Amino acid sequence: MSAPELSLAPARARGWRAWIGADAAARIAAGVAIFLVWEVSVRLWAPAFVARPSRIIAVMPATLADPALWHAAGATLGAVLQGLAIAIVLGTTIGLAIGRVPVMERFLQLYVSGLFAMPMVAILPLLTIYFGYTGQARLATVVFAAVFAIIINVSDGARAVPPEYTEVSRSFRGSGWSRLFDVVLPSSVPYLLAGLKLAAGRALIGAVIAEFYASIPGLGFYILYNTRTFKHSEAFVAVAMLAISGVLLELLLSKGTKKLLPWYRRDEARD
Amino acid sequence: MPRDHPRLSRYATYIVALAAGALLWQAVASQTNPAFLASFTATMGAIYDFIITGTLFRVLSSSLLVFFTGLGAAIVFGIGVGLLLARVRLLRVGLESYIMVVYATPMVALIPFIMSMMGFGFAPKALVVFLFAFFSILYNTIEGARSLKPEMLEVARSFRSGEWGVWRDVLIPYTLPYAMTGVRQGIGRGLVGLIAGEFFLSGTGIGLLIMQSERDFNVPALYGSILIITILGVLLMSIGRILENRFAAWRGLNR
Repeated sequence: MSAPELSLAPARARGWRAWIGADAAARIAAGVAIFLVWEVSVRLWAPAFVARPSRIIAVMPATLADPALWHAAGATLGAVLQGLAIAIVLGTTIGLAIGRVPVMERFLQLYVSGLFAMPMVAILPLLTIYFGYTGQARLATVVFAAVFAIIINVSDGARAVPPEYTEVSRSFRGSGWSRLFDVVLPSSVPYLLAGLKLAAGRALIGAVIAEFYASIPGLGFYILYNTRTFKHSEAFVAVAMLAISGVLLELLLSKGTKKLLPWYRRDEARD
Repeated sequence: MPRDHPRLSRYATYIVALAAGALLWQAVASQTNPAFLASFTATMGAIYDFIITGTLFRVLSSSLLVFFTGLGAAIVFGIGVGLLLARVRLLRVGLESYIMVVYATPMVALIPFIMSMMGFGFAPKALVVFLFAFFSILYNTIEGARSLKPEMLEVARSFRSGEWGVWRDVLIPYTLPYAMTGVRQGIGRGLVGLIAGEFFLSGTGIGLLIMQSERDFNVPALYGSILIITILGVLLMSIGRILENRFAAWRGLNR
């Protein structure tokens, strides 16, 4: 960590105040410019069916009133949340084992980092053989996409427990379980959250890819179906929902980390 | 743990872990329906076939061409635009939040649009790799730019450094290590984009090999092709990590 900065400049406002503050004009202007460039270039060079802001806004009320979209969103996000829950339990267990048990580390480390580096799309055909072209294949893809990021980060966390902590627990005759649940697990939580942030993004991608590949009803399939019938603007509403979900998950986790663990500053997950 | 040969002992551990994994795989496969799980030996046989028939070389060269075209463009534009945003504060403040939103959006969702606008062929697939990798690189470069202290620019200015001097001696050296973190992330994401493009746009390369094996119910070939892409992933990621560490040492951070 660098030494505290000595600066005469006023402290930067944070959060919403910064948004409303002096930089807001630049942000709004940039936003308007992006939409203008998009609108004009699509009008000039692209076929009529291509999504552009004015068409998206025009179809937005009808699309948002369509229950099919909400069903799709529920199915996709439900699978993502369910998969993340499974990945947290599985990933924390395996991660703690790798971080604390040397034999486990020696045997599993190689496989975990190998599977983490593997592009998760590649496993899809295999998962459809196991689970069929069903929602279960999507759930399995989500778990697969998410779990290794959690394992790697939790095992980092379990390894980084300061030895003094475990020694204190030992000298107070704490049992092995107490050491695990009262010392190792709590001090790995920040790493878990950092891994979870990474896993959430990967899970969302995994769900959409599985829907494309196996035609499972959800936001990804909604996008695929609508673009195939040249309803690009309708499909784009679903893309926006995915984007919002991605941003919300990200914000939720980073705010959650700050709120739950205000003493902890881990800037970056291992990814 | 023997301290005298840490590297040797690590490799020995890897070899033992791999051998144990292969044995376990073979044992489990012998008890399982071969329609679900190909044995280790059958998988190795499939990979051997890929090698001697020249399939492996053909498939990898086609995939890697797409990958490096997309990744190369993403590196050039990601770092280029990132540095520009680093220098022009107004532009950065204006665009930052939008870039953050796009960075958090799952890029796969754009594949159907790319397909219906650009159709099949080389360019749309390279574009998918580009899109997957670009925003990681851009996002991290901007992150680096944001942590560049104004004092550093002021010092450069007060020593009468010109615009080019500021770029060469302050901006680029300071931001590049962050950009390299982005490049490493971009390699991982770009690889996902490569396979997704090969699955959903037009079947070529390693993606087609995987899909074809599934359609033919050739389970050993399916496991073999997935193993090949995993090895490729590990290799590319280690290149990314080496690059990142090299530049991290320059930044003075050892992570």
